[in-house]
Amino acid sequence: MASSLVADRAAAAGERRLRGRSLWPAAALAAALIALPILGNDFLAYQVALFLVYGIATQGVALCWGRLGFLPLGHGLFFGLGAYLAGDVLKASAEQPAWLLGLLPAVLLPALLAWVVARLLFARSLRSGPYFSLITLAMTMLGFLAAQQWSGLTGGFNGMGNIPEPSGLERFTTLYWLIAAVAVGTTALLGTLIRRPIGTLWSAIAQNEDRMQLFGYATDKLKADAYGLSALLAALAGALFAAHQGIVTPQAMSFVLSTEFVIWAAVGGKASPLGALLGAVLVGYASSELRDHFASWEIFIGLLFIAVVRFLPEGLAGLSARRSRGQAVPASNALVEATTAPPARAPKQVPGLEFNDVRCTRGGVRILGGLSFSLQGPGIRAVIGPNGAGKTSAFNVMTGRLPATGGRIRLADQDITGWPAWRVARLGVGRKMQVPSVFPELTVRQNLSVAVWAGRLHGLAALQRAPHGWQTSLRGEMMEWFPELSQSLDSPAGQLSQGHRQALEFAMTVLPEPHLLLLDEPCAGLSPAETHRMIDVIQRAVQRLGAGALLIEHDLAAVAALRGDVYVFHQGHLLAQGPLQNLQSDPAVREVYAGARK
Amino acid sequence: MDGGTLLHGLNLIYELATLALTTLGLAVVFGLLGVMNMAHGEFVMLGAYSVVAVQQWGLPTLVAFPLAIVVCSALGWVVERWLIRPLYARPFDTLLATWALAMLMRKVVEAIWGKGFRNVEDALTVAMPIGNTAYPAYRLGLIALAVVLIGALFLWYRRTNTGLRVRAMVGNPTLAQALGIDTRKLASRTFIVGVVLAGVSGVMLAPLIRIEPNIGVDYLLDAFFVLVVGGLGTLAGLAGGVGIIGGAQALVSSMAGQTNGYATVLIISILFLWLRPDGIFSRR
Repeated sequence: MASSLVADRAAAAGERRLRGRSLWPAAALAAALIALPILGNDFLAYQVALFLVYGIATQGVALCWGRLGFLPLGHGLFFGLGAYLAGDVLKASAEQPAWLLGLLPAVLLPALLAWVVARLLFARSLRSGPYFSLITLAMTMLGFLAAQQWSGLTGGFNGMGNIPEPSGLERFTTLYWLIAAVAVGTTALLGTLIRRPIGTLWSAIAQNEDRMQLFGYATDKLKADAYGLSALLAALAGALFAAHQGIVTPQAMSFVLSTEFVIWAAVGGKASPLGALLGAVLVGYASSELRDHFASWEIFIGLLFIAVVRFLPEGLAGLSARRSRGQAVPASNALVEATTAPPARAPKQVPGLEFNDVRCTRGGVRILGGLSFSLQGPGIRAVIGPNGAGKTSAFNVMTGRLPATGGRIRLADQDITGWPAWRVARLGVGRKMQVPSVFPELTVRQNLSVAVWAGRLHGLAALQRAPHGWQTSLRGEMMEWFPELSQSLDSPAGQLSQGHRQALEFAMTVLPEPHLLLLDEPCAGLSPAETHRMIDVIQRAVQRLGAGALLIEHDLAAVAALRGDVYVFHQGHLLAQGPLQNLQSDPAVREVYAGARK
Repeated sequence: MDGGTLLHGLNLIYELATLALTTLGLAVVFGLLGVMNMAHGEFVMLGAYSVVAVQQWGLPTLVAFPLAIVVCSALGWVVERWLIRPLYARPFDTLLATWALAMLMRKVVEAIWGKGFRNVEDALTVAMPIGNTAYPAYRLGLIALAVVLIGALFLWYRRTNTGLRVRAMVGNPTLAQALGIDTRKLASRTFIVGVVLAGVSGVMLAPLIRIEPNIGVDYLLDAFFVLVVGGLGTLAGLAGGVGIIGGAQALVSSMAGQTNGYATVLIISILFLWLRPDGIFSRR
């Protein structure tokens, strides 16, 4: 009792330290920005403010690129839209101050546009690769053409001029304080979000989106939300730009500006909000000052950019982080007070599964040729069959990785044929991959948290700190069964050995408390002793959950130890089903395994 | 066929040929190696400036071809070896590294020749009579070169030993290595072929365009859009992409002005990237 009190107190102190750590970049920034006009002068502050504005948009680019792993190449569109809309609003407000309220939609509308576009794109294809970037680029170029063409709205090539400041602020003096306050605010906001559960989910998506889908996270929505937030930052920056410059030209919506955001984010540090902001301020301000003095300045910037991409993937911020800690992802949930997690959302009974004549052909190769089987009620069934029998493919067809070319799959009385993985997972299906699939750069503790949150983290909880401390009784038991995991809670999962990674992925698969487990060779690469223990843990976990399970396994001794029914797959269909003893005497099964029939 | 229609037809063919010519290099680098070479347009630009250089030195214009080939292949070798090879597994980083390279190339050229437009002397201004109209001989030569280069590239890819090895590398690099194919050398050579093609197209285009350091971006984006619409790695895809992008641009531009023509290209590309990311001929 006494020791737990001491531990609690230590945790609370650690928590305070942690909270301080998430805000120190914003605090340091605030101090520097307050000092700037005092130590320098108002004109310097005015000049720097422009690059603070660019820096806020750069933070948006860095959020998508450094945290979620997709690169927006066209943030100029949202920056420019925000600038033009705010320009209109500010002009109207010169006559009627109530118009200032219009700044809110001026910033929100571009973000909404970005969110809708991203929803459409990611719903169609989850790929975060360069094609997404190219679409955002093409959209910006369209916006640039429109800004030049529709001169009635935008002033065309000459721009929208004579934009007044917001009432009460003066462009060359007091407006600086508004811009500085917004920059500090966005830095603090992003620094906080990164350390909340949502930040862990973002990193998890960047590292292993398939795994997130198998937990039931709608990653397309999470990515669209993040893209909307990043566009919001760009539009906010655009609005400040309109007030600061007093004129908005199509250049504010251009391809060139969009790529500059990317360059600044890369140089400053794409994973760090402060780094991205400072990248824009330092590189941008230095360029504007030195461009005219040194003919070869731009060549130097080009070389710097190449060097950063080639040797410093995390930018200058990564350089300082590497020196101070040696790992980029903060172990954010190490010291949050432990609380009981809310109950899992997964349905509480075993969902009935039925494959009905499921076919799958890919590039002329028949993978599944009319696979039919069904599974009702709790208990473990082994799936055996030679390589190429369609065992893993059956799992893949079920979790949206392979498209079925014929037949239906029903789960819990619903037709799930062609569903994406996350929807299937939400019916209470947990899947463990053949090659253990974890989040390599997150700590073991964070990996486990992502699994515990699956189906439990609703709405605003993702923004609160408490879920970092969520415990479930099953998590506690897993730590007892796999003591090696509890000993390496704070090391990155990518550093675990194969056996420990198998243990981690299995633990993660059961933590959302699914009632149908698809286990793909959970003992692959394990020693006989580890295999024995794994089979034992699987049996205990399945019993504890009251779940049903399909377990692909080649080791017949392990299959025998399970004592459940066995399905034999062969060439993409079900060859036989029943207790192992019966199958071992089945002539058809013997032929397949003895190689008599191909 | 009356002269006016013939002229329109020839103009369309000429525009498609220039588009195909400037896309070929990227078709090799992006289509085969999967490298989004953002400096592709700058290699075209280098080709155009080698004509400028040759004429400045008072040499015959044809010397620009070997000059462009030497410059582009040397630069291509260095770039592949030191910039791209370490980044093959990181697609965004190759994109950014080549983007940085493009910036650098623009600025170096700007430092040498300045920002302003340059025109080179047109060697073959004579018009060739065709039917009852006449067409600039140089443009006809450009169309012929485009056809020849596409044909040669197709034969190289489909019929030669190197082409077979490249296809093996594209299909399965690890297996290709296991079969004794030096994929590093092969990738390096393939990259060089791609950037040299870009440079040669720049030499050909030089008399027809206003040359300045920033011309590369337009060639780059048009080439990307062609490849996206057509799909990667096939001749039919290249032809289809050139037809759709070039045709739409020419058609809409002639009816509703250049800006709308370009906007149409952008919209078509966005729709393809979104709905058919593997191109028109993909079976999925």
